[in-house]
Amino acid sequence: MHGPTPTIATPPKKGRAAKPVAASSPHEKNHALVKTVNTAVLVTFLLFISLVVLWPVIHMVAAAFTPGQSIANMPVIPFTEGVTVEHFAYIFTNTEYPRWFLNTLIIATLTTVGSLVLASLGAYVFSRFSFQLKRPFLMSLLILNVFPSFVGMVAIYVILLRIGAMDTLWGLVLVYLAGQLPYTTWMVKSYMDNIPKSLDEAARIDGASHFTIYRTIILPVAKPILVFLGITSFTTPWMDFIFPKMVLRSPENQTIALGLMSFVSDKNNFFTNFAAGSLLVAIPFVLFFVLTQKMLVSSLAGAAVKE
Amino acid sequence: MDAPRGLRSTHAGTVDPARVRLLSLLFMGLAHLTILKQRSKGLQFALVEVLFLVTLPVTLGKIAELVTLGDPAPSVPVKMRPNSLFMLIDGVTVLAVLAIFMILYLVSVQSARSAAVEINTNGIPTGVKSSSNPMNDLANKAFPIVGLAPTFLLVVFFVVVPLVFSALVAFTNYSTPEHIPPAATIDWVGFENFARLFGGSAAWTGALVRVFVWTIVWAFAATFTCYAGGMVMAVVLSNSRLRITPLFRAIFILPYAIPGVVSLLVWRNLLNGAFGTVNRTLEALHIINDPIPWLSDPLIAKFVVVAINLWCGFPYFMLLVTGTMTSINGDIIEAAKIDGASSWQIFRRIQAPIILYQTMPLIIMSFAANINNFGAIFFLSGGDPAVSDSVTTGAGGTDIMVSWIYKLTVNLQQYQNASVLAIMIFLIIAPFAIYNFRQTRSYKEGEL
Repeated sequence: MHGPTPTIATPPKKGRAAKPVAASSPHEKNHALVKTVNTAVLVTFLLFISLVVLWPVIHMVAAAFTPGQSIANMPVIPFTEGVTVEHFAYIFTNTEYPRWFLNTLIIATLTTVGSLVLASLGAYVFSRFSFQLKRPFLMSLLILNVFPSFVGMVAIYVILLRIGAMDTLWGLVLVYLAGQLPYTTWMVKSYMDNIPKSLDEAARIDGASHFTIYRTIILPVAKPILVFLGITSFTTPWMDFIFPKMVLRSPENQTIALGLMSFVSDKNNFFTNFAAGSLLVAIPFVLFFVLTQKMLVSSLAGAAVKE
Repeated sequence: MDAPRGLRSTHAGTVDPARVRLLSLLFMGLAHLTILKQRSKGLQFALVEVLFLVTLPVTLGKIAELVTLGDPAPSVPVKMRPNSLFMLIDGVTVLAVLAIFMILYLVSVQSARSAAVEINTNGIPTGVKSSSNPMNDLANKAFPIVGLAPTFLLVVFFVVVPLVFSALVAFTNYSTPEHIPPAATIDWVGFENFARLFGGSAAWTGALVRVFVWTIVWAFAATFTCYAGGMVMAVVLSNSRLRITPLFRAIFILPYAIPGVVSLLVWRNLLNGAFGTVNRTLEALHIINDPIPWLSDPLIAKFVVVAINLWCGFPYFMLLVTGTMTSINGDIIEAAKIDGASSWQIFRRIQAPIILYQTMPLIIMSFAANINNFGAIFFLSGGDPAVSDSVTTGAGGTDIMVSWIYKLTVNLQQYQNASVLAIMIFLIIAPFAIYNFRQTRSYKEGEL
C-alpha cells in the first residue's frame, strides 16, 4: 500500500550490525535487501534535502568571497572564479558598517533589557495581585498581541515627530518596547502563574516587601522564560526593516538591516558586498542556534504542551 | 461590660455609605479626605482631578479640533496652516488620557466604597494600620502601580493610540495628492473609502478581492507546507539509524538560524529572471532553454513565494514536532511494536494524532502569523509582479493584505485605503485572538 515499506511487521530489532551473508534462507536475504534499499532511499532523500537547504547558503558564502559586484557575475559553480576578501575590506572602509553594527547592538540591548524588566514587573503584578480592571487589561494584552505593529505606522511616525524622537535610537527602542510588551508580559505572566504562590506567601509572612519577593524569589525561578524571551527580543531588531526605515534618517543612525538593504535595492546591485555583510551577521546567529538547539527544542515543545 | 463597649465603638466608626458615594462621585478623593480619613490617598486622588480640571480647556480644544480637523486656509503660509494630522493624533491621545482619567475616577469611587464597607465591618480601614517603617510601607503599597505603569503607558501611547488612529483614518480622505497636511487639511468622509473598496471602484474592488483571496490561500499554503515539511523531516530524522543523523539535523536548522531577511534577499537575487543563478544553473545543466520568470510571472511567483517560505519555515515545525515526539510516552510505542505494528502504523495511529493534537494551537497561531507575514512577501518578491490594476491600486501579483498596506502607506500615500485594509485585518484576525485566549490556562481555570 505504501510503496516499498514492508507491510509485514519488522521483528524486534536485529541490532545495527547487518548480518553477514550467513543468512541462507531466501526470506532473510530478501529482508537484508529491503533494508539496504531503505537505507539508500533514506540517504538519497536526506542528501537531496541538504542540497536544497545548503545551495543558497553556499552561494551566499561564495558570493562574499568572489570578485565582482552583481549576482550576474557570480559563477554557477561556487568558488570557481577566484577568492578575495575585498568585499569585507570594502564594507569596513567605504561604508559605515561598524557604525551600523554598533547602532543595532545598542538598540537590541536596550530593547531586551527594557522589555525584560518591564515585562517581568508587569507580569508579577498581573500574576500576584488582584485589582479592578485586571481582566480587561489582560484581555487587551492578548488582543494587541495579534496586530502587526506597523498597522499604526503613520501614527507612530507622527508621535515620534511630536516628542522629538525622530531619527534617534531611543525613539526606535520605545517603538520596539511597546510593540513587544503585550506578548512578553503575557508570556511571563503565564509562566509565573505556574510558580506556587506558597513560595512568596511564606516570604510575605516573614515581612518581605513586594519588591524583595519579586527580585529574590520570583525572578530567579522565572529565569528560563526570561532567557527565552530575551533571545527573541534581542534578535528582532537585527533584521527588522520597517521601523528603522521610518524612524532613522541620517547616515550615522542606520542599522544593519537598513545598510544591507541599501546594497541590493532596486537602484544598485552590490550583491557581493551584501553577501559579505550578511555573512558577518549570520555567523553568530547560526552558531548560537546550532549550539542551543536542545534548549530551543524543549522550549518550543514546552510552549506547545503548556498554555 | 464588654458588649456595650463593642457596640459603642462600632457605632462611633460607622460611616454612611450613601454619603461616601455621593462625596466620592462629587469630587475625586473628597470622601477619602473627609469622612474616611485617608488623607494621603485622598490628596492623590484630588490632585488628579485638579490636574484634569486645570487642563480641561486644552482637552476640550483638542477634542473640538479632532471633530473639525481644521479648516483649509490656503491664504496663509504652509507652516502656519492648521495641521489636521497633528489634530487627529492629539485628539486620539487626549481621548486616551480621558479614558485613563475615567478609570482613575472609577478606581477612586470603588476605593471609597470598599473603605467605607471596611470601616463599617472592622472598625478601622486597612490603610490606617502602619508597619514600623512608613516609607517602606508606602513603597510596598505603590509597588503594583509602579510595576504596571510603564508597561501600561507605553502600550497605551505607542500601541493603542496608533491603532485607534489608523482605524479613524479609514473614515477620512487622508491621501495624496490633495489631502496631505500641512499643505491641505484632512476631512471626515464617513464610509466613502469603504464604499470605494467594496464595490464603488472596479479597480479597487477588484484588487481588494484578489489580494484578500490570495492572503487566505497564502496563509493556508504557507502553514500547511511548512507544517507538513517539518513533520516529515522530524519523523524521518527520528527514525533514521544513520550515524550522521545529527549532522543532517544541524544542516536542516540552518534556514531557521539564518536571519530571514538575509535568506529572502539572497533567494530574491538567485531567482532573478534575467541573470539569477537559478536560471543560469538550469541552463548550464540543459534542463531549460529559456529563463523561467520566477518572480515576474504572477502565477509562478505565487508558487515561488510559497516554496521559498517552505525553505525558511520548515525547520521551526521540525524542531517543534521533534520536541513533541520526545515527550510521547515510549511505553505506548513499545507496546504497539510488541503487538506487531509497523513503523508506518505506529506513526499513523499513535504519533501523528498526538503530535497534531499538541501542536494544533501553534498551527492555528502560525496561520494567523502568516496572514501578517509581511517579510516573506516583501523581501522576496516585493509584492510584485505588477498586474493590470497595479498602477492605480499599487497591489502586485503576490501582495498580501499587510504588504499592500505597507505599499499604500509608504509608496502611494493612500493612507485612507490602507486603514480600511487594517480594519479588515482586524476582523480576520480577531477570531484567532479569541481562540488564542481560550487556549490559555488562565481562561481554562476560570481566572478570566
